[in-house]
Amino acid sequence: METTLSDILQEIRSIYYYAPLAIKIAIIFIFIAVTATVLAYLVMLRSRYRNFRQNRLLRKMLPIMDDLLINEIITNPNIPQDVVPSKVALNLEPFDALPLHRRWAREMLTARIIHYRNNVSGSAGDLLRNLYLQLDLDKDAMRKLKSRHWNRKVEALTEFTLMDMPISDVTILPLANSRNRELRAAARQAYIKLSKNEPFKFFDSVTDPLLPWDQVELFRIITTTTDIAIPNFARWITYSSNKSVVSFCMKLVVHFNQLAAVPAIIRLLENRDHVLRADAIEALGRLKIAEVEDKLVHLYTSQPLFCQIAILKALGRIRSGRHIDFLRNEFLHSTDFDLRKAAARAIVKNEVMARGVIDELLSTTTGENLLILKHCMNPLIKY
Amino acid sequence: MNRILLVEDDEVMPKIIARILPEPEYHVDVAVNGKEAMQKLEDNNYQYDLVITDIMMPYANGFEILSKVKTHNQEHPIPVIIVSNAGNEDMIMEGFKLGVDDFLKKPIIPAELIIRVKRLLMKK
Repeated sequence: METTLSDILQEIRSIYYYAPLAIKIAIIFIFIAVTATVLAYLVMLRSRYRNFRQNRLLRKMLPIMDDLLINEIITNPNIPQDVVPSKVALNLEPFDALPLHRRWAREMLTARIIHYRNNVSGSAGDLLRNLYLQLDLDKDAMRKLKSRHWNRKVEALTEFTLMDMPISDVTILPLANSRNRELRAAARQAYIKLSKNEPFKFFDSVTDPLLPWDQVELFRIITTTTDIAIPNFARWITYSSNKSVVSFCMKLVVHFNQLAAVPAIIRLLENRDHVLRADAIEALGRLKIAEVEDKLVHLYTSQPLFCQIAILKALGRIRSGRHIDFLRNEFLHSTDFDLRKAAARAIVKNEVMARGVIDELLSTTTGENLLILKHCMNPLIKY
Repeated sequence: MNRILLVEDDEVMPKIIARILPEPEYHVDVAVNGKEAMQKLEDNNYQYDLVITDIMMPYANGFEILSKVKTHNQEHPIPVIIVSNAGNEDMIMEGFKLGVDDFLKKPIIPAELIIRVKRLLMKK
């Protein structure tokens, strides 16, 4: 006897109709679960097959792209040498061999152009950028920049930075203040690298505090980027209402040894915020501004512990030797361990002028103070 | 024909160099890591007119290759050019201490590399 599909369905239907309610519910759940699993597998299979096809095409395209970039752009003897590379009208006909109407092909060519630009510079690098523009590959990045997804925006910003493409302030400045950390960092990096006139303009519009990690990232970008105009950071030290910007700018002043910004930092010694005061004291110490030593010593007693330690460290860094007695008194009479340690270190750093005091302290002090002094004199111990 | 050993783990650079230093005037042998470079040097009994090497590579770095090349034949050492992304002051100093003949920082200007290669080959 032959069983057809309709017989089986009929059988299932009759079982379902005569089954108790609990079984009916279970059957519905099983049906949904099996269907969902099958659908999920189908979606996965489809996406894997698409990826496989795309990768196969990419593998085929890669050597063609490389040949085109090398032969038609980097080493093409027919490209006129007397025209600025960015103005050369390139022969784009050979690039018709690529399926550039497909997004994946355009993305791949862009990635390849960036890879080549990481390896060649000069007129070859400029010609690659010219090709990127003439093939309208920048439009994809512009679309990505307008995407709702932050990761696509970061991709676009990275692409623009690597291709040295200017972005308008209206587009990039809001991103430089984004709540998303990755996006914010990428936008600031892009702004510093791409803005030829005022790479630090976003300091004016930063409303949230610069987090320590942001500061580390920014410091790395600013100090490693070549060809950027370094402004006088006194501008933000004086006028910025964002304390983290002021503090960060003082670190930059120290790094770039901007002595022109010293008066602005000295004015911060009167600031009501003790964290900013401590940062200002530290910056002055690192810049070795001997003229402020008297002022620091004068301020010392009215400062919180935090700033007092900064003052002692600054005196140690300046090393003028004019306040050895003050340091000696602090070392001998302070009740706070950290203050005594900072004072001892400052005395040791003033070694040439403080030789007599160091010898005297070594012979007269005992117990913990002697231990602190010997600890500070050990060149193998940094802290 | 000038035989050049190019030691580079990036796939793009050999393609560019092979095009700017074409056959038959030049023959460029490519090694994709330090170990392969050492092997090629041994296999060919150091019969190269020039070595162009990167610094950061798997198995053996550019400095190891440089010192091996320079210590092999101290009277007539093979000229070496380092082409690297990692061109900080310490690395450049280290390279020159080990006897590198030229140092180029990536991204390179192709025309500049050609001139430097020709200059070193003429000297040799």
